[in-house]
Amino acid sequence: MQAMQANQTHVGQTYLHPLPVRIWHWINALGFVLLMLTGVQIRYADLFSVMTFESALNVHNWIGFVIIANYFLWLGYYLTSDRISNYHAVLNAKDFFNNYYRQAVYYSYGIFRGEKRPHNVQPHDKFNPMQRLTYQVIMMISGPIQIVTGLMMWDVKRFESWIALAGGIRVVSTIHMLVFILFVVFILVHAYMGVLGRKPSTHYKEMFTGYAEDGDH
Amino acid sequence: MNIKPQVLVIDDDAVVGRSFDRVLSEKGYEVSTALSGEEALKDIESKEYDLVFTDIKMPGMDGIEVAERIKAQCPWTPVVVITGYGTEENEARASVLGVSGFVRKPLTPEIIESITLKALQEPVEEPRAANEPEAPVEVMAEAKTSALRATGKFAKNVGLFFAAPFIALAYIIALPAVGFYMFAKLAYEAYQKKNSSS
Repeated sequence: MQAMQANQTHVGQTYLHPLPVRIWHWINALGFVLLMLTGVQIRYADLFSVMTFESALNVHNWIGFVIIANYFLWLGYYLTSDRISNYHAVLNAKDFFNNYYRQAVYYSYGIFRGEKRPHNVQPHDKFNPMQRLTYQVIMMISGPIQIVTGLMMWDVKRFESWIALAGGIRVVSTIHMLVFILFVVFILVHAYMGVLGRKPSTHYKEMFTGYAEDGDH
Repeated sequence: MNIKPQVLVIDDDAVVGRSFDRVLSEKGYEVSTALSGEEALKDIESKEYDLVFTDIKMPGMDGIEVAERIKAQCPWTPVVVITGYGTEENEARASVLGVSGFVRKPLTPEIIESITLKALQEPVEEPRAANEPEAPVEVMAEAKTSALRATGKFAKNVGLFFAAPFIALAYIIALPAVGFYMFAKLAYEAYQKKNSSS
């Protein structure tokens, strides 16, 4: 294992995204797009008819389970890997807000003036403060909420007591919808941020090869 | 809070320090460098390191003397001696100090990584008299200590991981107020700068 990791050190490159993370990422990307499309078809069956309601529901449920399994792949990988530090809480609030502010200023105008990136990306600290906060919310708050509300609506009878506890099926459905909107916004911003590398394709390429060119972050 | 293992590399050749930094930073270590023994000893007074690498041949204080002083100051810190001049005499002197190992130049990323892992995992040997025989190795105790250390590290990692969403929520709630304060401060500073220049 050590030998393998050592071989992954290329001159001028940093091995930023290990294989399990890349597999998880691309399954998620494809799954989320399909979930969103089938979700819109289910929700607005009277407006769109790309497929029948039943087919959309079936595909949505199946992909939902793939995404749940994928979520546990992500969780298992990070819990057992030293790269877990990427998702660690930042305990020093002053440092966090200062760095967050610096990053916000960079995204607001520094990036357009070609200024140096304020965050030095490392395999064990690859997210800048804004990304770190976003991914913590997406992966550890919104993701589990979407999984639980999705499961409740998948089998209303089985999860009757949970639904009652949450305040009824309308509440569960509304929460699922709100998190869906959050995910749509996240994916659009994520895809846009992806083109902000040295070349528009740089960060996309990284997510296939795992390697980031030095100076690209 | 910094949970990354702290590594100090002492070598008068800055390239060596940079090589260690490049290899070990990728593996989750935080690497500091010093170009002389004097600089390193000053650094060690204010910062605690988990592992120190020192070159043996340096102008001024040599690596053995540096290791000796570090061992006197922080006996629990593992020290690895880097050498291109591995004479038996030097190795014997360093062994007496209880150094964790020797690594000979030229160094490759694999050697740097494996010697770092080995030095951090092995218990630090107490300095002993040159003619004193080696103490019998207590394998069980070592395994227990290493397992306890690994469990502690795992618990800390998982704790920080699961604390993350709660702390993230607290930061999100505080973010508008902190953001407003920061922009107000920036505007005030800009205003003051403008006034002082005019």
